[in-house]
Amino acid sequence: MTGAPARVRLAAPLRIASISLLFSLIISVPVLLFIYHQTDSLFEQGIRDRIDDREQDLMQGYSSAGVPGLVDAIDEELSTGVARAGAVLLVDPRGRRLAGNIAAWPPILRAPSDWAEMRLYPEGQARTELFALRAVALPAGYRLLLGTSIEDRERMRASLIEALLGALLLAIPLGLIGGWFVLKLTERRARAIGNVAARIAGGDFSHRLDERVEDAEFAMLAGAINAMLERIEELVEQLRLVTDSLAHDLRSPLTRMRANMERALAAGDGKAQQQALDAVSLDVDGMLRLISATLEISRTETGAGRQDFEDFDLRALLSDICEIYTPLAEERGNAIRMGQPKSVAYNGNRQSIGRAVANLVDNALKYGAGDIELGVSNAGDMVDLWVADQGPGIPSDLREDAVRKYRRLDESRTTEGSGLGLALARAVARLHGGDIRLEDNGPGLRVVLSLRRDGGHIALL
Amino acid sequence: MSKKILVVEDDATTADYIVKGLEQNGYVVDTAGDGRDGLFHATDGTYAAIVLDRMLPGMDGLAMLSAVRAAGVDTPVIILSALGSTDERVKGLKAGSDDYLSKPFAFSELLARVEALQRRGAAGGGSVVTRLACADLSMDLLSRRVERGGERVDLQPREFRLLELLLRNEGQVVTRTMMLEEVWDYHFDPGTNVIDVHISRLRKKIDDRGRTPLLHTVRGVGYMLSDAA
Repeated sequence: MTGAPARVRLAAPLRIASISLLFSLIISVPVLLFIYHQTDSLFEQGIRDRIDDREQDLMQGYSSAGVPGLVDAIDEELSTGVARAGAVLLVDPRGRRLAGNIAAWPPILRAPSDWAEMRLYPEGQARTELFALRAVALPAGYRLLLGTSIEDRERMRASLIEALLGALLLAIPLGLIGGWFVLKLTERRARAIGNVAARIAGGDFSHRLDERVEDAEFAMLAGAINAMLERIEELVEQLRLVTDSLAHDLRSPLTRMRANMERALAAGDGKAQQQALDAVSLDVDGMLRLISATLEISRTETGAGRQDFEDFDLRALLSDICEIYTPLAEERGNAIRMGQPKSVAYNGNRQSIGRAVANLVDNALKYGAGDIELGVSNAGDMVDLWVADQGPGIPSDLREDAVRKYRRLDESRTTEGSGLGLALARAVARLHGGDIRLEDNGPGLRVVLSLRRDGGHIALL
Repeated sequence: MSKKILVVEDDATTADYIVKGLEQNGYVVDTAGDGRDGLFHATDGTYAAIVLDRMLPGMDGLAMLSAVRAAGVDTPVIILSALGSTDERVKGLKAGSDDYLSKPFAFSELLARVEALQRRGAAGGGSVVTRLACADLSMDLLSRRVERGGERVDLQPREFRLLELLLRNEGQVVTRTMMLEEVWDYHFDPGTNVIDVHISRLRKKIDDRGRTPLLHTVRGVGYMLSDAA
């Protein structure tokens, strides 16, 4: 759009064109060279065959009647036109011509010689012609020269080279056109991606790429980008919620603290001041708890605490939590029960699992009603720890929401709580290769902390 | 003679906050701003306790602690760290610290732990304690018998351990997190109510029927067992 991309726009077609040109050269040059070589050797073989035939014919005359027989055979060949486009010459030991259509023996040609290429003047012609020649040495110093014009081969070579050059010349515009098309196509897709990215950068996270394009690789790219956008949208939404909620959760106690401190200042020494300061101290503790919980979740989400896995009994852990919370529950008129008599050995982070279960029980006490039941059961590769209450529960469409950080289903946020309990429990479950599930307890809510049996070893976040 | 505490902390504000608080509670405090300086002071060996920041310039807190222990100094050490997770705690304890407190912390929590550490250090040197007492409350650790004014008090096992913790730290504040750590071995902040209810049950058993209350609430901090009025 500005500056740097403009240079890229100019450079890209050239680059793509030269790449496609290079590819067409890599493919066409060897093919043409092969054709050239094959045609050439076929042609040469044809000429050899023809010379062989003529040599055989003439030598028949020689073997039947010696040199005079050969002369007759040559004359006959010349007169019948068998030597069409051919050269023939017979010389005596002193180099004088006895028969043939060539004026004189070429001085540099020695006999015998199977194949030589030379320019000669055929008799009665003004221009030289290129011949393929064979020199045969006969007894007593006679020499026979047989030749075939290979002007045709030269012409063929020339036209092959022309074809080669032509193909190369054609490859350039073809490469450019092909490159241009590829570029246009890529550019269109890239622009679509760029547009979506620009919209996202502008703050509108709802846009997605069309995943139904024909090219599989672009569909794949679009799919990957959309998945990434989905995640970014989720994270941004979470971050927004976290910031809003954190601001709200910090502002309320800060406002109360300010009011209480003013009260304390106004009250002077005495009981009223003490009460106001106690209230401040409570709020500070609450805020510290909120911050520690936030840090704990972040650390758990990044996989910290995996080094700290130990062997312990999940049943014992549940009974500890039961014991810790029983007096509090009883004071509120609820009971906490545990319905699992057997030990369940597990390897994991006892501290964080304990904390997660404690959070769930705490939630059940705060938002649930009736008796709270804790249990552990095996489910294939997983171990399910669950905490169930008999309260109003959470409607199924709100359950996913409830697990998010700082999300509290009480929109007014008037009840006590940080909204981090379930988020921490989920982070802990994920640390152990599992997840958290919210189920209907009919009536009430049943929160299941599902952990992988071997979570300590292949836990994935 | 007042007790000496070494505070090794590079953040001046935090160091100041800790030093002021400790001095108000009658301690003499030396400070060191980095690990090297801290190590130099610590090997002196005359401190009642060392408060050590986990992350220090020059020499890391854990490295300094290892060096101190290697030099044969067994002064109780409490680590302060912004890394509050349980695995960091284990690392700290492995390196030789006696306690671990994550930032941010309340000063009262630190003070309670520093005092508990000294008590532990003092008790560890002598013979094995088999009997704990505070005023007319007594606990026999062998027979697991608890009496108040000569009358037997029946306690649940965890109540027994809770009372034992309070008795061992008699006259000093024990915070709620310290209780959860010592009695149940969980290192998280349980929230205000959970421990309070346990304490109120214990209180009913030992401070009942118009007896002089021994188990006191220290506002905003925790609880203390003491026969002072």
